[in-house]
Amino acid sequence: MLHLLGVNLPDQKLVQYALPLFYGIGQKTSLKILAALSIHKKCKVSDLSESQVTQLSSLLTEMTIESDLRKQIRANIMHHRSIGTYVGRRHAMGLPVRGQNTRNNAKTARRLNGRWLKAERKEYSTATTRSIIPTPDSPFESFFNRNWF
Amino acid sequence: MPRSAWKGPFFVALPGLKQALTQNIPVRTNARACTIIPSFVGLKFQIHNGKDYVPITVNQEMVGHKLGEFAPTRKRFSYRLTKNR
Repeated sequence: MLHLLGVNLPDQKLVQYALPLFYGIGQKTSLKILAALSIHKKCKVSDLSESQVTQLSSLLTEMTIESDLRKQIRANIMHHRSIGTYVGRRHAMGLPVRGQNTRNNAKTARRLNGRWLKAERKEYSTATTRSIIPTPDSPFESFFNRNWF
Repeated sequence: MPRSAWKGPFFVALPGLKQALTQNIPVRTNARACTIIPSFVGLKFQIHNGKDYVPITVNQEMVGHKLGEFAPTRKRFSYRLTKNR
């Protein structure tokens, strides 16, 4: 195991496939890094020399990955939310942002959108236990607030 | 793909802008595609959403966005049991 910037890279993996374990590095970036440090494609994590590891870690610290990237994404969404754009509203509602259909599915948006905002709300709330009372704009609450009659 | 840099931001000449700057009168506009440029900061706008004019005040953070982003065009669905009410 090679421990780099809070991420464990398994020894038996190729470096090419170990690097995407970082949040913010995919196949493409991984290959670019290999090219920049002149590591061959079949090189395993265990085969990396000491100097290559230091080079790699110095390169990675300069990139916006992991928590920095998460923070950046969250800040971008919060920017939209705070100035009240359409994008921000869609995020808050947990619906697709870029004009996709919502008649069916929209599963990805339901899973992902709005979680940053929810996390923000949790930080501000003083409740220690999970409250049963739903938050104002949850689907739960809107269900209860419907005009039934 | 973003707009080419050499074109600069898209904006339309809004009538009554000078008046708005001096007298703090809201600018009523249908130009939703107009980019908010730094000189708009502090101005009041009434942006058409297809039905009526949504009032907004432009602040520093809104620069670079379009006017239309701040005037939602869709009404939220609310369930009604009967139609004739």
